[in-house]
Amino acid sequence: MRRTTVRPRRGRLNVAPYLFLAPAVAFVVLTVVYPLIYNILQSFFDVGLREVVRGGAAWVGLDNYRDQLGRSEFWHAVVVSLVYSVGTVAIAFAVGLGLALLFHREFRGRNVLRALLLLAWILPTVVSANVWRWLLDGSYGLLNAALSGLGLLDRDLFWLGEPNPALLAVTVATAWSFAPFAMILLAAGLQGISPTYYEAARIDGASAWQQFRSLTFPLLRPVSLTVTLLIFIFTFKTFDTIFLMTGGGPGNATETLPVYAYNEAFEFSRFDTAAVATTVLMVISIALALVYFRALRNEEGA
Amino acid sequence: MTAVSRRRLLVFAAVFITAVYLIPVYWMVNTSFKGAEDIFATPPDLLPLPPTFGSYADAVFSNGDIARGLMNSGIIAVGTTVVTLLVALPAAYALARLKVRFVSAFLMLFLAVQMVPSVNLALPMFVLFSGAGLVNSYAGLIIANCSLAVPLAITILRPYFLAIPEEIVEAAKIDGCNELTAFWRVAVPVSTPGIITVGAVSFLQAWGEFVFGLALAPDERFQPVTVVLAGITNAFGTKWNDLMAVSAIIALPVIVLFIFLQRYIVAGLTEGATKS
Repeated sequence: MRRTTVRPRRGRLNVAPYLFLAPAVAFVVLTVVYPLIYNILQSFFDVGLREVVRGGAAWVGLDNYRDQLGRSEFWHAVVVSLVYSVGTVAIAFAVGLGLALLFHREFRGRNVLRALLLLAWILPTVVSANVWRWLLDGSYGLLNAALSGLGLLDRDLFWLGEPNPALLAVTVATAWSFAPFAMILLAAGLQGISPTYYEAARIDGASAWQQFRSLTFPLLRPVSLTVTLLIFIFTFKTFDTIFLMTGGGPGNATETLPVYAYNEAFEFSRFDTAAVATTVLMVISIALALVYFRALRNEEGA
Repeated sequence: MTAVSRRRLLVFAAVFITAVYLIPVYWMVNTSFKGAEDIFATPPDLLPLPPTFGSYADAVFSNGDIARGLMNSGIIAVGTTVVTLLVALPAAYALARLKVRFVSAFLMLFLAVQMVPSVNLALPMFVLFSGAGLVNSYAGLIIANCSLAVPLAITILRPYFLAIPEEIVEAAKIDGCNELTAFWRVAVPVSTPGIITVGAVSFLQAWGEFVFGLALAPDERFQPVTVVLAGITNAFGTKWNDLMAVSAIIALPVIVLFIFLQRYIVAGLTEGATKS
């Protein structure tokens, strides 16, 4: 990071710049930092609906944590979150890389097509979740119609009504939204690779596959790490896609940590155990963010 | 294979792949123009012929809940955009051009809070806002949306302010501008692209936001259209044409904004995520 500021002379602190900053800092402290701390504190108290309305919650120390860490539903949510996030990252990265390589070539209409693909990424989640529900409909959905047309399916498969197909479906739907984002970042990475490398490789007689394996892929590593981590962080905290497509069901087959936390709070009015789940979610997110920041710094230092 | 035919093949492949990728979007539009009995055709009709506007008439324009939801979303998104710009512009300017200590610590703060899961904010906000009378209010929903929009906006805006030539700001100060007037009369006008980017990104995110609306507006009168749609999904049952019409209407402003501001939005969203 470049330092663009000059330190003021010792003893004379210029207040004006801090007045420019104050509203934003106050805003973030009041609307993000304070709720986060409050949330962590809640996980150490006994908070049900009565306490939310009237206040006066009792301190219970680590009881909520003991309760949650001993619950199979909680661990199930952690595992589902990991499977969902890893799956989404894998699919979005593979598809995004394929698209980036395709659009790295010069041809007419390239920019229009690339812009069209980005629509998948910026569509509101409510819209894409609803469309996917319709595509995956067991009786009249387009996917089943296409699969039976190809002779791959001989029954009405209700994708969102069966545990494993449902988890696969929400993963694919989420990856569909993130792949264009991966494409954009990876395309920028490809732009940054000097063509002279490839010229040298061609002179040495390297095949396209060899060029990809020994040039493109290693040189893309920093960007790939960024893309992978970012999509993992975004997916790990995703609530709306799953809530809207399956509500965490069938049973709790697609219940990730954010959905689990929401249900604890608003279905069962257990705000304290919900706070445990969100605190665990946040600790994992922060750990991932730290890895990401370190990767960023290494990239800049490189 | 000649170079020309190879290029043709490439264009064809790219068009084909893009078309396949966007089938979900096409299917939404297609279904929204179908009649109630057409959606149960097997195999499904690939074109809605003849197209009917019945779903738009029934589900969108004569449905008071959806209309009110659209209005609420508009109010919340515009409010979020305005507040975000007012708060983020001076902060980004200070971090880019003024003598502030701990710049990297501030930047880190604004970058780190973007990683916070919405659910982590929505649950405590519900409790805190209940006490402050902000549940079921536009103000509460706007504040909640800004909590994530402001840090992102600062991250996006700072590079634009860094890029302003020093001479311009200096000249303004020689002409008698102080810190505030130099910012307002010189720096802000020349950073219009950055402001458009932040405005568009804030608007889009608030327009499509779901979690805050769900947690902080139990009362239907204040619910954004995203939450209204989720709430009536069960009532719609298998009226997929109506559901797709409502979805298409929610997507419409996003698509229109994107057509006109695509360059800005993509730059904003990708750089906001990857620049420090």
